Order: sequence, then C-alpha cells, then structure tokens
Amino acid sequence: MMQCGWPLMGPLRWLHYLNKEVKVRAGKGEEHRGWLLSVDPVSASVVLVSFGEAVAVRVVMGHAVEAVEVLRAAADDETAKRLRSVFLPPPSPCLDP
Amino acid sequence: SLRSSVAPPLERPGERRTAEMKKLYGGDAAKIMAMEAAMQLNFERNCDLKQPKYWPVIPLKL
Amino acid sequence: SISSSAASDTNSEQLQKEQDARSVLREGFLRCLLSMTNKKVQFQMYENVKVEATFGASDIDVLNFQVSDLHTPIGVQKEALIRCQDVISFTFDV
Repeated sequence: MMQCGWPLMGPLRWLHYLNKEVKVRAGKGEEHRGWLLSVDPVSASVVLVSFGEAVAVRVVMGHAVEAVEVLRAAADDETAKRLRSVFLPPPSPCLDP
Repeated sequence: SLRSSVAPPLERPGERRTAEMKKLYGGDAAKIMAMEAAMQLNFERNCDLKQPKYWPVIPLKL
Repeated sequence: SISSSAASDTNSEQLQKEQDARSVLREGFLRCLLSMTNKKVQFQMYENVKVEATFGASDIDVLNFQVSDLHTPIGVQKEALIRCQDVISFTFDV
C-alpha cells in the first residue's frame, strides 16, 4: 500500500500506521524500515523504531516523506510492549519483581 | 494551515492560542501546551546561553 | 450552529476522534524529541550532507534544532542551529 500526499493526510489517517512495520521512502533515494511509533501532527515527521543490539530511532522529516508502505500490519505483544516503553522513563527499581 | 489567519479584535494572544490549541487537541490541550512550553523554553534558553549560528550559513534547500 | 443535532453529534464525535488522534501523535513526537536531549544524533541532509552532533533542543514548530559539537565536513562547530528544512532524516540510539 503506497500513500501520496503524506503531510496532508491528517491525524486519523496517520493513526492507522501506528505500531505497524513500515517502509518509508524519503528524498534523494533514502529508504527506512521500522516500527512506526508516531507521526508529528505539526510537521508530519515519522518516528520509526528498530530493535537490534540497541534501540535505534529514525525520524524522517514530513517534508521529505515520499511514500509510506505497510510491511507488517500488527506488532506482536512483545514488540507492542517494547514500542510503548521506548520513550518512557525506565520503571523505578522498587516496582520490579 | 489549521490556524486561522483572521484574528478577531480585542482578544489577547494567549487566549487565542489557548482557543486554537483547544480546537486542535480537545481535552488534552493543557497537557500538550505544558509539554510544548517546557520544550520551547529549553530551546530559547539554550539559544540565549550558547548563541548558536546557523549551519550551513546558506540553506541547503529552500 | 444551525445544523441538526444529529449532524452536529456526528461532527463533534468525529472532531473528538481527530483531537484524540492528534494528541496521542503529538505527545509521542514530543517525547521522542525530549529523549534526544544530550544524545549523539546523525543527520542526513540534502546535497548528500551527513553530520553528527549532540542534540540540545527543538523549537515546537519543528523549524530549528539547537545542537552542540556539530561535526561538519570542514570541522567542528561548537554551537549550531540546523534548519529542519535542510534535513531529510536523523537517527539516534535510545
């Protein structure tokens, strides 16, 4: 599924891409894959997260986005949980089991 | 643009901004405004303190 | 408004959905920017320019990034502002 006019799509349509694995094509032949964590409603910038040895974040500026393609429609429970915690402060030690 | 360019008369800028944010973010407007205010303050304080210059001097893209 | 109550109910429901979506998305993005504070960030810019810098802060309109120790192709600039319009994408490790 390809999308054009990304910056004009609006919050409800951007929300459909949340927590999905996507491929973003951007200016000058860049291509980035990752789990879509958010889309800034002000700049249409896309936040992608990928889990490797480290948690890597890639933000593609809204003005540079050419196409967003969904690769995997749903994150498994483990990935969804990791996605929710990426930008949250680590849990306080006393709450750990 | 989502923001109206026609300002009604006799309205203070703060009120107008609050009304616009309320229209955009509904019940979460106060929370978003607080986060944005903290971020903007940080940006402005750093710029005052460090006096950064644009790099590159000439924009790469216009 | 002079629209019928049914229509305005639908409209206000739609509006609220949109506001909720916008709030969730904006908060997620602001948290992302906040988490970048003092992190090393690699910027991919137009004209095939790649630079690395320590992130300071962004303005809320996402027009400028304030950074330190910017490694440019011709040397290090201690304090700099990067125009977001010049940037294609940027990356950092959490």
